[in-house]
Amino acid sequence: MNVKQGQWAILLWPYLLTTSIPLDCRDEQGGLSRCPSISQEKLLDRVIQHAELIYRVSEESCSLFEEMFIPFPLQLQRNQAGYPCITKALPIPSSKSEIQQISDKWLLHSVLMLVQSWIEPLVYLQTTLNRYDGVPDMLLNKTKWVSDKLMSLEQGVVVLIKKMLDEGLMTTTYSEQGLFQDDGQPEMLEYVMRDYTLLSCFKKDAHKMEILLKLLKCRQNDIHSCA
Amino acid sequence: MYPGPTSPVNRLHKSVSSVRSSGSRQWTQHGQNTEGETESFCQLKARLCGATMKKVLEVILLLLLLVVTHAKGTRYSPPGKPALTRCRSPEKETFTCWWEPGSDGGLPTTYALYYRKESSDTVFECPDYRTAGENSCFFNKNDTSIWVNYNITVVATNALGRTFSDPVDIDVVYIVKPNPPEQVAVTVMEDKGWPFIRVSWEPPHKADTRSGWITLIYEIRVKLEEENDWEMHLAGQQKMFNIFSLRSGGKYLVQVRCKPDHGYWSEWSPSSYVKVPDYFHREKSVWILITVFCAFIFLILTWLLHMNSRSLKHFLLPPVPGPKIKGFDKQLLKNGKSEEVFSALVATDFPPKSSNYEDLLVEYLEVYIPEEQELMLEKSMDLDVGCLKCEGSASDSDSGRGSCDSHTLLMHKCDGVKEEEERQAKEARRHQKDWKEEASTYAHVDVSPDMSSGRVKTWPSVFSPLPRYTSNQQGSLEMAKQHYLSDSLFPTSSTSSYHTQPGHGTTEAHGPGYWECGLSNKQPHLLHPQAQAQRQLQARSDDNISSIGRKQTPAGLHSPARRSTEYVEVERVNEEDMVLLQPVSGRCGDVEGYPEMPYGEDYSKVKGVDMDNMLLLQREVREETENCDTSSTVTTTQKPAACIHSAMPVEGEMVLGVNGYVDTATVCTPPTY
Repeated sequence: MNVKQGQWAILLWPYLLTTSIPLDCRDEQGGLSRCPSISQEKLLDRVIQHAELIYRVSEESCSLFEEMFIPFPLQLQRNQAGYPCITKALPIPSSKSEIQQISDKWLLHSVLMLVQSWIEPLVYLQTTLNRYDGVPDMLLNKTKWVSDKLMSLEQGVVVLIKKMLDEGLMTTTYSEQGLFQDDGQPEMLEYVMRDYTLLSCFKKDAHKMEILLKLLKCRQNDIHSCA
Repeated sequence: MYPGPTSPVNRLHKSVSSVRSSGSRQWTQHGQNTEGETESFCQLKARLCGATMKKVLEVILLLLLLVVTHAKGTRYSPPGKPALTRCRSPEKETFTCWWEPGSDGGLPTTYALYYRKESSDTVFECPDYRTAGENSCFFNKNDTSIWVNYNITVVATNALGRTFSDPVDIDVVYIVKPNPPEQVAVTVMEDKGWPFIRVSWEPPHKADTRSGWITLIYEIRVKLEEENDWEMHLAGQQKMFNIFSLRSGGKYLVQVRCKPDHGYWSEWSPSSYVKVPDYFHREKSVWILITVFCAFIFLILTWLLHMNSRSLKHFLLPPVPGPKIKGFDKQLLKNGKSEEVFSALVATDFPPKSSNYEDLLVEYLEVYIPEEQELMLEKSMDLDVGCLKCEGSASDSDSGRGSCDSHTLLMHKCDGVKEEEERQAKEARRHQKDWKEEASTYAHVDVSPDMSSGRVKTWPSVFSPLPRYTSNQQGSLEMAKQHYLSDSLFPTSSTSSYHTQPGHGTTEAHGPGYWECGLSNKQPHLLHPQAQAQRQLQARSDDNISSIGRKQTPAGLHSPARRSTEYVEVERVNEEDMVLLQPVSGRCGDVEGYPEMPYGEDYSKVKGVDMDNMLLLQREVREETENCDTSSTVTTTQKPAACIHSAMPVEGEMVLGVNGYVDTATVCTPPTY
C-alpha cells in the first residue's frame, strides 16, 4: 500500500504539464475525502495529446537516425515497411474494422500493452545510442524525452483504465529483465540495423497508440458517428 | 509450386509418345489375333498407315511452325519484368497497387499479383483486378491491415514463360494519399471596408477524420488569374481560412489540398474563382491629399523665395563691405604705392586747424533775414511753433538755434504772465512763425518794464562783452520792441522796415533775437514769449507810446541810437564763422528818423534778484559807454570764453555783471524744481 500511495504522486503526470490537481482521491483511509479531480474527458484528451506528441518526436528521431547512420540502400523505402518488430506478437487489432469491433476495455488494454512493452526497449536504446560516434545531441535528447513521456503515458492510461473500467493495475517496474542484452561486440552494422528497426517499430506503435486512443475518444462522444 | 503451363513442345512429345504407345498397343493386339486374321492383315495395315499418316502430318505442321518461327527471328519471348509503380490508400482503410508491365514477348501475357503478409507465409492473390482499372490491384477493407507489412510481387506470364517483378514492402499507414478536399467555397467578405476572401472546405468524404482515424492538415494556394506565382498558406487542421491583402478588382484562383500526418499530399482541388470588388483605397487618397497639399506649400515657398531672393542672399551671404576709408584710394593701393596711399589717408583738415574750439560751438547767431523772408515772417508768425521748435530741434552748429537748446540759457517764466500771454498768443503767433525759421525763440523774463527792454541778457556770450557794445543794440532792442508794438497795433506790413538791412546780404538776428530767446521748459506758456513781450510792451505802453509811431528802420541801423554801450550790431557772419560786429551807427546819438524814445527809461540796472526770481531793477542814469565808433570785430572766439565764464551755475546768488547788469543766464540756473 505504501507503494501505491507513493504512486499516486507519480500519477500526477498530466498535471505536471498544467496544474497540480490530484487525479483522484484516495479512499484507502476509508474517509470521504473530497478533493477536486480531473474529469474523464479531460484526462482522455490529455492522454491523446501525449500520444500525439510521442508519435511526432519518435518520427523525428527515426528520420534523424536514418540520415546519420543508415546507408542509403538499406534505408526503408517511403513505404516504411520495416523489419519485424518486437511487438508483432501482441494481439493488436490491425484494421479499422477490427478496431471497431473490439470493446473499450480491449482498446485500453491494447494501448497499455503497447506502452508497457516499449518502456524498457527505449531505455535500452538510450544506452546504445550513446555508443555511437558523432551522435547528435538532439537525437539523444529526443529519445530521452520520448522515454520519459512514455512512462507518463503509461501512468495516465492506468488512471484512465481505473476511471473507465474501474480496474486497478500496476505500473511496470524496472525489475524485469529486458530482452536486450549487451552480448559482446557484434558487427556494427548489425547493431545499427537493430537500433534502426527499434526506432521505426516504435514509431509505428506510437501511431497505433494514438489511433486507438482517438477512436476511444470518438466512442465516448458518440458511438454511432464513429464509422 | 506454381502449375506450369503446357508448352507446345511437351504436347508434341506427348503426341509422339501417344503415337508410339498406340502403335505398341496395336502390335500387341495384332499378335493375339493372328490365327484367324490372315485375311485382315491388309486391313490392319491400312488402318495403321492412316493413323500414322495423321500423326506425321501434325508433326510436320509443328515442325513447320517452329521452322517458320525461327526463320522470322525472336518474335516470341517470355514476358518482360513488370514493376510495381505505386500503392496508395486514400483513407487508410483500403489501398490499391499499380504496376507497369514489361514487354509482353509478343505473346498474350497475363499478370498476377501475389502478396504475403508480414507474419505469415501464406501467399494470396490479388482479390480484385478490375475495380481500380488496368494493371491494378484493389484491396478492400477486409483485406487491408494497417501496421502490417505487405510483401507484394507481380508476375507476368505468357506462353513462353513467366517473369517475377521485384517485391515491394509496404505498410498501409505510410502510403496514405487522401483525395482532395471537397466543397471548396470561396466568398468575399468585408472587414471595416477592407475586403478579404474566406475559403472553406470539407475533408474528402472517404477520409474518416471525425473519429480520429485519420488526421488531415490542409494547405491553400491563391494567385491572381493573370499571374504565375502562387501564394501558399498552411491552414493546419482547420477547415476555414481568410486571405487578406487583396488587389482591388482582381480575379483570384483558390485551391486546397490536404495531407495526413504521415503520408502524401493530395492533389489540388479544382480551382475556385473569385472576383474582388473594387474598393476605394482610403489610405491612398489620404496620401494623395497630403501630396497635393505639400506641393502647394512648396510652390508658395518657392515663389516667396524668388520674390525675396535678393534680401535672402544678403541675409545668408552678407556682402563684404569694401574699405571706405576717407581718402583711401583703392587704385593707389593696387598700384602698390604705399606712400601715396597713406599720405592720402592723412586728412589735411584733421585735427581741425582752428585753434580755438570755440569756433565749433555756435551758441548763437544773429541771423540776418532778408526782406522777402521778413515779409513772410511778419505774415506768419507762430509763437507756439517757433518756440516749440526751438526747444525740440537738434542743435545745429551753424544756425542760431543751437543756443536755444542750451538749458543754461533758459529763462524762468513768471506765473502771472500766463493768462495774458495766452490771450495775446494767437496774435503774436503769426508773427512768430518765421522766427522759427531763423531758429530763434523768444522768452521774456518777467521783469519790470524798464528792465525788459534791453538790459536783460539771455546770451551770456553776448552780454559779457557788453561794454563794448554800442547802444545800438539797445536801440535794436527798442526797435524790436517797437516791432512788437507795431505788430500788435499796426498792420504788420508797416513794420517791415524795421528789420531790413538792405545792402547786407547777411542774416542778422534782430533785436528780439538777442534777448528773447530761451525757453523755460517748465512753463509751456513760455511758448508765447511774444505774447509776453506784447504784454510787457503794453504794460509799458505809457512809456513807449512815443515809440508807437516809429516805423522806420534806419537803413543801416537797427534802431535809433540810444545810448547803449552793450550792444553791438552784428554785421555779418563771415566764412570762418566769425561774427563781425559793428557798432550801431546811431549809437552816438545820431538818430535818423527815429522818434525819440525815452531811453533813459529803457534800461535799468538790476539791483538784485529776489527769491521769486524777480529782477529788481534800479533806475539810474545811463552811463556813457565806450565809444560808439569803436567797431570791433568780435570773433566768435570770444563767445566761448564768455560762455564759460558766465555759464557757471549759481544758485540763489546774484551775479552782477561788470556794469551792474545781471546776467540773466547765470540767474536762471538749472532749475531746482
